Amino acid sequence: MNPIRIDPQKALDEALRFNQKLAAGFKSLRALDEVNYGTTAKEEIYREDKLVLYRFKGANKPTAKTPMLITYALVNRPYMVDLQDDRSLVKNLLAQGEDVYLIDWGYPDQSDRYLTLDDYINGYIKRCVDVVAKRHEVEKINLLGICQGGAFSLCFASIYPEKIKNLITMVTPVDFHTPDNMLSNWTRGMDVDLFVDTLGNVPADLMNWCYLTLKPVRLLQQKYIGLVDILDDKTELENFLRMEKWIFDSPDQAGEAFRQFVKDFYQGNKLVNGGLKIGDKQVSLKKITMPVLNIFAEQDHLVPPSASRPLKQHVGTKDYTELVFKGGHIGIYVSGRAQREVPSAIHDWLGQR
Amino acid sequence: MSEKKSTQDWQALQQQYWNAWSDATRQAVGQAPAPATPWHEGLEQWSRMFADSGKQNETADRLMAGAKNYVALMHSMLGTASGKNVEAGPSQAWTDALREGFNLPGADAALLNNPVAAMLRGFSGQGVQGFEQLSANLAPFFAQARQEGMSWLQAPAFGYAREHQEHYQKMLAAFAEYQEALKHYNALILKSSERSFAIFEDKLAERAEPGRQIDSLRALYDLWVDAAEQAYAEVAVSDEFRKVYGDVVNAQTRVRSQIQQEVERIGTDLGMPTRTELNSVHKRLHELRREFRNADAVAEIKALRGEVQALKQALLRQDRPEPSVHKPTVAPKTRVASTRKVAPARKHVAAVVQPRVASKHSGDTFNDAITAMGGSAVGEPTRNKQPGARKKVSAPARRGDA
Repeated sequence: MNPIRIDPQKALDEALRFNQKLAAGFKSLRALDEVNYGTTAKEEIYREDKLVLYRFKGANKPTAKTPMLITYALVNRPYMVDLQDDRSLVKNLLAQGEDVYLIDWGYPDQSDRYLTLDDYINGYIKRCVDVVAKRHEVEKINLLGICQGGAFSLCFASIYPEKIKNLITMVTPVDFHTPDNMLSNWTRGMDVDLFVDTLGNVPADLMNWCYLTLKPVRLLQQKYIGLVDILDDKTELENFLRMEKWIFDSPDQAGEAFRQFVKDFYQGNKLVNGGLKIGDKQVSLKKITMPVLNIFAEQDHLVPPSASRPLKQHVGTKDYTELVFKGGHIGIYVSGRAQREVPSAIHDWLGQR
Repeated sequence: MSEKKSTQDWQALQQQYWNAWSDATRQAVGQAPAPATPWHEGLEQWSRMFADSGKQNETADRLMAGAKNYVALMHSMLGTASGKNVEAGPSQAWTDALREGFNLPGADAALLNNPVAAMLRGFSGQGVQGFEQLSANLAPFFAQARQEGMSWLQAPAFGYAREHQEHYQKMLAAFAEYQEALKHYNALILKSSERSFAIFEDKLAERAEPGRQIDSLRALYDLWVDAAEQAYAEVAVSDEFRKVYGDVVNAQTRVRSQIQQEVERIGTDLGMPTRTELNSVHKRLHELRREFRNADAVAEIKALRGEVQALKQALLRQDRPEPSVHKPTVAPKTRVASTRKVAPARKHVAAVVQPRVASKHSGDTFNDAITAMGGSAVGEPTRNKQPGARKKVSAPARRGDA
């Protein structure tokens, strides 16, 4: 049987419809203003350099006794966790009764070029954890690390286990050398010393380009052809633009921290192989003895599940739980399924501990 | 279908398509492409008409870049839909139409039958930093350098301008290496493009089953996208790609580095501040901040040690027998000194001190922490402590450690 049954007249209609939608859509695009993001109210708790620690305010008072600190990656802006009213991990966590704090790393400039992972982990994160713990008069808090922020959280929990009650990692790479990890494959041939010595901070545009080329056809073309379908739907169009803004609104990477992250994590795979030091402190996943919830996405092209799964065999805790989400690296925050499944899973897991 | 009939159908479809497109454009921007404009030039015209899309310009540019390719693709496939090329066999004809559709008229020959490379190059927007962009930006400069007969750049350097000559030589060599590396990278991208069509045909064959047939141009395109991503992923996770990718990134970085050095040299000659100088300032500032923070921590530890010492002495004083009992006056001092040297006692002190930093609920000072943990146990001199008593003191601290 012929695999293609495209009727000529239908094909013509389809092509015409596409052009008509495209033409009309440009009018809609022109009329749209800048999109907003981050709808949940928040207050500034602590500020240091370009970092701001926020506490989110829900409609009701939190019922959780232990506050939760979200540590996001350096490579994108953290408002992905609170993108819009109906796509907000934060809002849903608050609704469950959690008390949620978030570190916003800001946009590093050349004066931050010499910030190291020691500064980020033993400095910024540690001080934020202390601030949150002091406010709540507790010894330990819950830490939720996302992507690269998850890798940082693993380091932190290993160095300061006495400060973390429960550790949650989301789409976090642990084993950087699995065969399907495209990004890792690319970085391993790189002379990162030459790279950072030349560029100083790593420009966001360069990082974005790298991410887009992980799936070039889908992300450079198919996505925009799909956009034509929703050009006449203002809400959908705004959702698209909000996501588009997030994708391209990226901070530059502080050079020294980038150098160390690529060398120790991507190239050396030291989280798994051992020998990782943050400043003068040794990191060993075996020292992570608090309960761990590891959430990762089945179709993640940035952090494949194979990179996240090995956490189980490397952590020291006996209380380890895995949550496999049906979706991708971004969908885990913004998809409808994510809104229904992820915050309640986190809350329930915490509630049992 | 006869060839004549097929051609007539195709022309009729093209005319319908063009008319509708003109109408749509007229409605959107108040003017239509000139009737005689070939479709691909019409697209360019379109791009210009929609050039200003307000605050969404970047998205509009990307949308237009994607749409341009897709419209070309649809145009090519419409020919096949009308039966123009079915003689080659249905699947083959569609694959050919698809392949042809990606070859935009007037495009670089290197992009022929290489849609993945075309997408990488065609992606527009401010600050896009693909490998091709840097090469394209620099190529005229280096071409000019060659054209101007800078053959002396190949010659051994000596004399007053020796350093400059050597630097230019390095710069040209770096660019040549970069272009060579880029060639290898592009060859792998071409390989993934070619492979995409092979995978596409396999995927098409799977759709021959009843109920799974492709019935729209978009579905056909989406199927190719799946094939293209699969082909690209196969190439991109290979060891060969790792080597080639690393080479092209490193070669590109060397070119940037050489250019930076040249800019720095010119800047220095003109008395302008340079990147190196700024880096030096930033580095010093950063080191100072670290020293400051460390000094802060050291001062805190010193203060804590002082408090511990004072507390020990106070405890010893409490523990000292009444004056009626004669003991050598040096004894307490000796005991303190010896206590500090005994490992278990130090461990105990460390355990007591820890909550002051880790636990805020115990209070803000060491004394508060001690009180919160039970003054009586702490009140006992370390030297007299029994194993049970020590456990009692250090238990809260260990809770903090868990």
